[in-house]
Amino acid sequence: MATVEYRNIAKNFGHVEVMKDVSFGIADREFVVLLGPSGCGKTTLLRMTAGLESVTNGDLLIGDRRVNDVHPRDRDIAMVFQNYALYPTMKVFDNIGFSLEVAKVPKAEIRKKVEWAAEILNLTPYLGRYPKELSGGQRQRVAMGRAMVRNAAVFLFDEPLSNLDAKLRTHMRVEIRQLHNRLGTTTIYVTHDQIEAMTMADKIVLMHAGRIMQIGTPDEVYERPNSKYVADFIGSPSMNFIAGAVETAGGSPHFVAEGVSIGLSPEIKAKPGQKVIMGVRPHDLGISDAGEIKGEVVLSETTGADVQIHLRVAGYDAVAVVPRDERRNAGAAINLSVLPGKVHLFDAATELRVA
Amino acid sequence: MRVAKARRFVVSDHPLPWLLPLVAILLVFTVYPLIYNIWLSFHEFVPRRRALEFVGTENWVQLWNDTRFWQSLVITFTYFAIALVFELVLGMAIALLLDSDGFGLGFLRGVLTMTLVIPPAIVGMMYLLMEDPQFGVISYLLQSIGLLNPNNPILATASTALAGVLVAEIWQWTPFMVLIFLAGLRALPPEPYEAAMIDGASSFQIFRRITLPMMSKVIAIAVLVRGIDLFRVFDYVFVMTSGGPGASTYSLSLYAWQQTFSFVKWGYGATLSLVTLVIILVIANLFIRIAKVRW
Ligand SMILES: Nc1ncnc2c1ncn2[C@@H]1O[C@H](COP(=O)(O)OP(=O)(O)O)[C@@H](O)[C@H]1O
Ligand SMILES: [Mg+2]
Repeated sequence: MATVEYRNIAKNFGHVEVMKDVSFGIADREFVVLLGPSGCGKTTLLRMTAGLESVTNGDLLIGDRRVNDVHPRDRDIAMVFQNYALYPTMKVFDNIGFSLEVAKVPKAEIRKKVEWAAEILNLTPYLGRYPKELSGGQRQRVAMGRAMVRNAAVFLFDEPLSNLDAKLRTHMRVEIRQLHNRLGTTTIYVTHDQIEAMTMADKIVLMHAGRIMQIGTPDEVYERPNSKYVADFIGSPSMNFIAGAVETAGGSPHFVAEGVSIGLSPEIKAKPGQKVIMGVRPHDLGISDAGEIKGEVVLSETTGADVQIHLRVAGYDAVAVVPRDERRNAGAAINLSVLPGKVHLFDAATELRVA
Repeated sequence: MRVAKARRFVVSDHPLPWLLPLVAILLVFTVYPLIYNIWLSFHEFVPRRRALEFVGTENWVQLWNDTRFWQSLVITFTYFAIALVFELVLGMAIALLLDSDGFGLGFLRGVLTMTLVIPPAIVGMMYLLMEDPQFGVISYLLQSIGLLNPNNPILATASTALAGVLVAEIWQWTPFMVLIFLAGLRALPPEPYEAAMIDGASSFQIFRRITLPMMSKVIAIAVLVRGIDLFRVFDYVFVMTSGGPGASTYSLSLYAWQQTFSFVKWGYGATLSLVTLVIILVIANLFIRIAKVRW
């Protein structure tokens, strides 16, 4: 049972400022995903939460307690390290059970818990091995197991699935979520993988260069990105962007760029003449003969159920994702329309959302 | 631009010429003396004829029945074990204390090397003086707190003489252990410590379950290097007690030296030193086998 709160957290390494004014709260039992590109400060924030890195400025609260100066041992947290941080001299069994061993839990109970975790993590055959005798993915699962047997107030996961193959990763995603549903432990989960973020998070905190770009549910972040950066980062393939301006044509606002004119909803906040960037997700483009966007197919890629059509629209490159039976050959002319209400507009100068 | 071709003094690509200097040194200083020593142990110097005579296994039989040999073996083992335990434990404790970046610790680490540059014979003399019953500071201090009877000088009393020598030994060589352990501690990865803190381990639990196992290879090397040296103890006993009082501090090396140079029994002296070598080899090999760590 614990909440976590970051109040104006800043972090310097020497003279290098890597984090500035980070503030957000995590509710009890919440599963929060810290998402952002490599180097944006996710690990640093997690390590500060664990007490392994000092907080340069601001207040860090776990529960109602300010923990800035509390020893990691006394913060009641479990952590999966990005670099695993296994105990090289202990076999897998002891690695997973170490926290219980130091807490003087009876041997039989340790065995039960370790075997339970090993079962979920497919590690049962490896319990008698040393870390150096394991593959990267196996080591990562040992690191995971070490946290799973803990009964901590907060779980910190630092890219815990980054080294697993696709199938195992999907399996572990489900396991981690189920574990969370069962234990209800407040969880901060770091990843640079937006699929993990979208599928697992109650709340996504999207970071960039030591700052928070947006906080919201996966749906909010996907459907109403508050900046071009977030819009670009979330979603695969990435959103299409076209720079242009808002103009009023025939009484209703239109987005106009070279060779493109798209009607916007009347309650748009943009002023006529405002320079904007329009964003449309590839999935929100549909093939239709009456479509306002006319382009030429450059390449069609089948990804399974869908087809990604790369096209050229009046000097811009764009991507549309359509059902596989609507595949078009390279060179074909194509008309696309934007699904209603799926246009994102960002101010050209600030790159912040205007509609 | 013209690049000058490096001049080659040695033109052969064959490995042998490169190995030759080392092989020559080994032959002259290790292999030849060893073989000569083995040969010598089956001979004995006969003073009246000023020549070595073949005596067969006589030296080895004599060794087996020589109570002074067995006594010196026990003394050497005792010295070896006590010194090793003290140097290991003290060395580790001091290394742990110095393994931080606290103010002045760098200076202390430097000071530690100073005992190692003093010749052991000089350290022996220093302690001989400090343990002197009349004006030695150690004797004075022990007497003033009632731990030492003035009538029983440390180095002239059979029950305390070995301890008196061991003090010099431990004083000089504990810093050696500290330096090895410090180097080892500094090379340990930080991650397991972070994980252990988060797992809730206390400092002692971290030392016992993380530091000590990770240091086992370094400790093994320290034990090996120091242990071999300890088994050959000579300087301290030679300078401080000459093996006395009685034979209470007569180490194996000192006994071999006495037989060879005082009694001119070259063959028997060679036999004693060969036995020392064999014992060291056996123990070292056993130890290496036991200490082999898998992780
Ligand atoms: N110990 C450190 N000393 C100096 N700079 C660091 C240190 N650790 C991380 N950084 C810097 O802080 C930034 C954030 O790093 P990190 O938190 O590891 O990013 P992420 O986990 O999001 O990939 C990076 O620019 C990195 O170079
Ligand atoms: Mg990281």
